[in-house]
Amino acid sequence: MTAPTTTKTQAALNAFVKETGGWVAGQLEACTRCGLCAEACHFYQALGNPEYAPVWKMEPLRRAYQQRFTISGRIKSALGLAKPVTDEDLGRWSVLVYEACTVCNKCALVCPMGIQIGTLIHDVRTAMSAAGVVPADLHAAALKQVEIGSPLGVTAEAWRERLDWIAEEWEVEIPVDKPGAETLAVFTSIEVMKFPENLAAVATILNKAGENWTVASQGREAVNFGVFESDPELTKVFLGRVFDAAKALGVKRIMIAECGHSYEAFRWTAPNIMDVPPGIEITHIVRVMYELMKAGRIKLKAGAYADAPVTFHDSCKIQRRGGLIKEPRALLKVLAGDSFREMDPCREQSQCCGGGGGVISIKEADPLRFAVFGMKIDQMKANGAQTVCMVCSNCRLQFTEGVAQYNSGVKVRGLTDMVAKALE
Amino acid sequence: MGWPEILRFFRGPFLKAALLIFIGGMTYRLIRVLLLGWRRDRAKSAGSKVGGTLKAYLKSLLILPFIPWVKRTFPRNALTYIAGGLFHLSLFVVLIFGVPHMLVWKSLTKVGWPTLPTPVVDWAAAVGIAAMVMLFINRFVQPVLRLISGWPARLNWIFVFLPMVTGYMMTHHMFFRYEVLFSLHMIAVDVLLIWIPFSRISHFLFYFFAKTIHGAQAGKRGVTP
Amino acid sequence: MPDKTIYQQLREDGLSRRDFVKFCGLLSGMIGLEFSAAGKALGAAAGRAPADVVAQALKTKPRLPVIWLELQDCAGCTEAISRSTSPSLSNLVLNRIAIDYQETLMAAAGAQAEEAKRATMAKYRGQYVLVVEGSPTVFQGGAFCTIGGRSNLEILKEAAEGAAAVIATGNCAAFGGLPRAHPNPTGAHAVMDIITDKPVINIPGCPAIPDVTTGVIVHFLVLGTLPKTDGLKRPLAFYGHTIHDHCLRRPFHEAGRFAADFGGRSAREGWCLYKLGCKGPTTYNACSSLKWERGLSFPVQSGHPCLGCSEPKFWDGGGFYQGQSAPLNRPGKVDVGLAVGAGAILGGALAVANRAGKKRGVAKSEAVPPKGKAE
Repeated sequence: MTAPTTTKTQAALNAFVKETGGWVAGQLEACTRCGLCAEACHFYQALGNPEYAPVWKMEPLRRAYQQRFTISGRIKSALGLAKPVTDEDLGRWSVLVYEACTVCNKCALVCPMGIQIGTLIHDVRTAMSAAGVVPADLHAAALKQVEIGSPLGVTAEAWRERLDWIAEEWEVEIPVDKPGAETLAVFTSIEVMKFPENLAAVATILNKAGENWTVASQGREAVNFGVFESDPELTKVFLGRVFDAAKALGVKRIMIAECGHSYEAFRWTAPNIMDVPPGIEITHIVRVMYELMKAGRIKLKAGAYADAPVTFHDSCKIQRRGGLIKEPRALLKVLAGDSFREMDPCREQSQCCGGGGGVISIKEADPLRFAVFGMKIDQMKANGAQTVCMVCSNCRLQFTEGVAQYNSGVKVRGLTDMVAKALE
Repeated sequence: MGWPEILRFFRGPFLKAALLIFIGGMTYRLIRVLLLGWRRDRAKSAGSKVGGTLKAYLKSLLILPFIPWVKRTFPRNALTYIAGGLFHLSLFVVLIFGVPHMLVWKSLTKVGWPTLPTPVVDWAAAVGIAAMVMLFINRFVQPVLRLISGWPARLNWIFVFLPMVTGYMMTHHMFFRYEVLFSLHMIAVDVLLIWIPFSRISHFLFYFFAKTIHGAQAGKRGVTP
Repeated sequence: MPDKTIYQQLREDGLSRRDFVKFCGLLSGMIGLEFSAAGKALGAAAGRAPADVVAQALKTKPRLPVIWLELQDCAGCTEAISRSTSPSLSNLVLNRIAIDYQETLMAAAGAQAEEAKRATMAKYRGQYVLVVEGSPTVFQGGAFCTIGGRSNLEILKEAAEGAAAVIATGNCAAFGGLPRAHPNPTGAHAVMDIITDKPVINIPGCPAIPDVTTGVIVHFLVLGTLPKTDGLKRPLAFYGHTIHDHCLRRPFHEAGRFAADFGGRSAREGWCLYKLGCKGPTTYNACSSLKWERGLSFPVQSGHPCLGCSEPKFWDGGGFYQGQSAPLNRPGKVDVGLAVGAGAILGGALAVANRAGKKRGVAKSEAVPPKGKAE
């Protein structure tokens, strides 16, 4: 190849090549460049920049495929006619895929071909990560998680102290490293540090239901910045910490608390990238609450929140990509009755809050994610909700900040917290 | 060489060569992807992959994405949806239910079927051509399409548009003698057949890859594709 | 003794003067004298209507000697002329007034017939018209078709040498016809391939329409020239339009009503025969306007699709009963197999190379650059 290559572009190209199996190639070949995916992207909708079109975000992947996997591309590359990927390109696309994409995968629903564009953009992130072109804030958080065990820098001691404080403050028992427990609850640092009532709520509900559960000091962090960065090795390391703890404690299931991407990582990604301990079920707090209610192990006060309109925000990784759609609605039907109102769009078609995929942790992306959140504000205005709830603390953080930014009076709550407060 | 000779060449040996290039080229494209290696999905399914796939196909068969209240994206880019949808519908009607095209299929596959009245096919063709013109303009007006369209996209448009226009002119005996238009139509068709394996028009095949993947993904996760 | 004029001969055959005038009107119309520049000029100079021009010519000009050669033929074109049920124009002109040598029709045979031909050729050298039916063959020096021990090539060249004009009647003479169909075992050719130094006009058809042959002869007789032709040397007056252009089933074509089978109700009710393989849209001939048997009918009218018999290589133009849109050469199983095989090998090889590239890529990417800040 005559095109000038640097260590970075070479690393990115190698990562692209490594990612590209039949699964990726078959979908890249199907793209007709109709541009409809742009209309699904909340970043494009809110800001109108054509570069935010999902198809453009996966352009480097397509270009690498074109140059390395096709005859014409190989010939062109050999003759030096191919457009090389430059360091500048990497920098440009790093901004597009990390700051202007939440990997919400709504584009896949809109694509007439059904291409999993979100997943392919995730592959672009992998290459960016291999080349080391990752937003500084994101990578700093990932490094913190490697060293301290939490992207927010919550040390083991701080975590333990915080848990003690929560147990005291909310008067709940939180079993730590309890041998013989059946359920291992894994929380995010956001919950531990910013939404402690949520942690207390989980404990309250599980205790009330008589669940034999525990938290693990070795596997205490649900958040996975390896996923955000899309570095497979880091992802495995962070997943491994929880799986090792689960194995050591001999639990039957791992329950992810209010967190989206980690549910996705544990439930769908982990089995495909690493050896997971067999016989351990992955579940999510919203599903657990639903099952407990169905089984009659917890009883909710019907109409506890029926006095003002309540709406539910479907999170990309839990609802659209996780399938836990009917569970929160069943709970809310009981809690809010007729006051429960759907947002438009909702369920699989729901619009992402704008903070997912690590975007919320990148300072430079703040204007973008707040611009996107404006659409969420409009949707809540349209259905007149005074309370919005969700089962993802990442979304909740984005909502909390967004609502403040827009001076909206809507109350943002975790569904778990609402359930815990409505227990009979 | 007169037009009858030209027609004979492009209906005969050249068409045969074009068909074989098309078949060989598409096989190449298919094998190139199929043998690239596929990883088995080891995550436990929460729903039925087959069910999801069926749903995905049914949904796209019923052209649900084009119904405004199903996809909220529709009003944002109605032109691409409507013109794109009408173009494909027109293509389907003309290529499958037009008498001359049915006779081509019959001669190639030995299977014939009832056709639609010529006026219906004719209107479908006219609508298809109008839709193509709209899509062409759209490609230059829409900022996203301007960004992602290069020469291959424009060539695709030209190579698809030419058979449509020559075919329409031929059925209406417009401007030139029948055998001239017939020859031009056949030349355009041959060029298109040769071009398809090297272009994104091959999405008619890879559509099934992407749609199956999409359906299976949704089915596995227990959501509607 | 000078030759009798055509008029004199017709009168001797019992044609009334009234019938003669009608005959002249028909002839002038048929050969398009009203529309040809030469005919108009002639009429203007004489101050008469075109029919009168024809009548004048027939009254004053001596009979036009015609030699009719049959090479690789089926005598179908001859049959078409002689089988007319009533004394048609063709009948009158060809049988009674012109033909000096015609193997099928003449009473004489063998050496006697050959002698008659030699005599005509000698007497009217440079004046007679040579009509050729059937295709000349060139393989083995023309040994596949001989008459009286002489090769067809020799006979054709000899007869053409003294002719004023050559008329190739029927598809065989005009374009090679059936004998030239693939694989053409005898080396059949068109007359115009062999005779290049004389004016040649083609009247293709299988058979040629008798009235067209007559019309061309009359045109030559009246104006002394051959009529204007198209690129394939066919007289434009008769070959200017396709069968499809004047077809009485055309409205059904436009409406998309296609007969599904032969003799069925739809075919009898006049529906278009396109699906049954009609080649009308690309076939130039006068069948649908002149028709046959004095305007009685023509194949498409009687329910049979046009075979395209006035076009070159119509035998090799795909199945007669296959829609015209169908490809002429269908790829066979072997062809398709080879194409698929080639594609699969190429695709497979590339896939293998790509997989190897993936492994190499993985090995190389172990030299990971340090992760840093965004650019």
